Amino acid sequence: MSKEATIWLAIFAVGAINYVARLSFIALFARRDMPPLLGRALKHVPAAMLTAIVVPAVVFVGQGVLRLDPGNAKLIAAVAALAVAAWRQSTTLTIVVGMAVLWLAQYALR
Amino acid sequence: MRPHFSRPAFFEGVRDMTPVLIGIVPFGMVCGIAAVSAGASPLAALAMSAIMFSGAAQIVAAQLLAAGAPLLVIVLSCLVVGLRFLVYSAAMAPYLRPLDHRWRGILSFVLTDQAFAGTIQRFRESGDLRANASYFLGGGVLLWVVWQLATLAGILVGQVIPASWQLEFVVPLCFLAILAPLLRDRVTLLVVAVAGVAAIALDDMPMRLSLICAGLIGIAAGAIADTFRGQHE
Repeated sequence: MSKEATIWLAIFAVGAINYVARLSFIALFARRDMPPLLGRALKHVPAAMLTAIVVPAVVFVGQGVLRLDPGNAKLIAAVAALAVAAWRQSTTLTIVVGMAVLWLAQYALR
Repeated sequence: MRPHFSRPAFFEGVRDMTPVLIGIVPFGMVCGIAAVSAGASPLAALAMSAIMFSGAAQIVAAQLLAAGAPLLVIVLSCLVVGLRFLVYSAAMAPYLRPLDHRWRGILSFVLTDQAFAGTIQRFRESGDLRANASYFLGGGVLLWVVWQLATLAGILVGQVIPASWQLEFVVPLCFLAILAPLLRDRVTLLVVAVAGVAAIALDDMPMRLSLICAGLIGIAAGAIADTFRGQHE
């Protein structure tokens, strides 16, 4: 399959899956509440999936090079951003502080 | 129920969502840049933003595409990443249920991490469904429109942005902002710790299968912890 065909099929498949998931309890099974067992399993999905996306983007520099020391500017910036996000629930402030610390740390570590 | 559109509430929703754009604009640009550099045509890159309308799924799809992963792996990874929409849908459902099909169909389409995080509090506090639905629509439509423009900007000017700016770092920052308020619960802290360690330990897996595996391990840890906590109560 050509890359372009793969992309378009993925777009429509994932688009449909996302829309069905978004519609699910709002419209498709609107008559019923979420089954308790499913609810318990799904409750942790946002935290787990967001973590699985965020952590590798922060702790790896380059291909598979793990850096958990203060020499990793992204790690310093993420810790600062997390502190800000926990202190003030502001996406704006989190991103501004995160990017500012990233650039400063990059400059300082150079 | 057919709540007639409330213009003031719609624009209130637009206004309250505006600060979020500081993260959404670079994030959308990163999605455009990532899709094109993974080999997507500009039109396909735009369609990703218009139809998938999920930054997390788009980034994952672009990374897998760049790695030459087959369609099934791309769709499966995005499916797991998109499971959180079930959670948002269930949380929103009690408030949106009285609305007619058209409203629910449209509001569901613009249900994103940011729209959910930004409006659920209002639904919990105010019973004015007509105003709340229009408020949600305002924020959601703003996000969708700006997401398309940002993607287009990324496709057009992506090449001239210096790599040293590390624009792609806004992606983890956007998700950190959503993650942080969840961390007040001890079981959630455990979920995050387990998923984080698993994501590092499993990073060697091919085709970023570490994403699905680390996520599922974190979810399982949370479910097990809930079971034990339930026994103590």
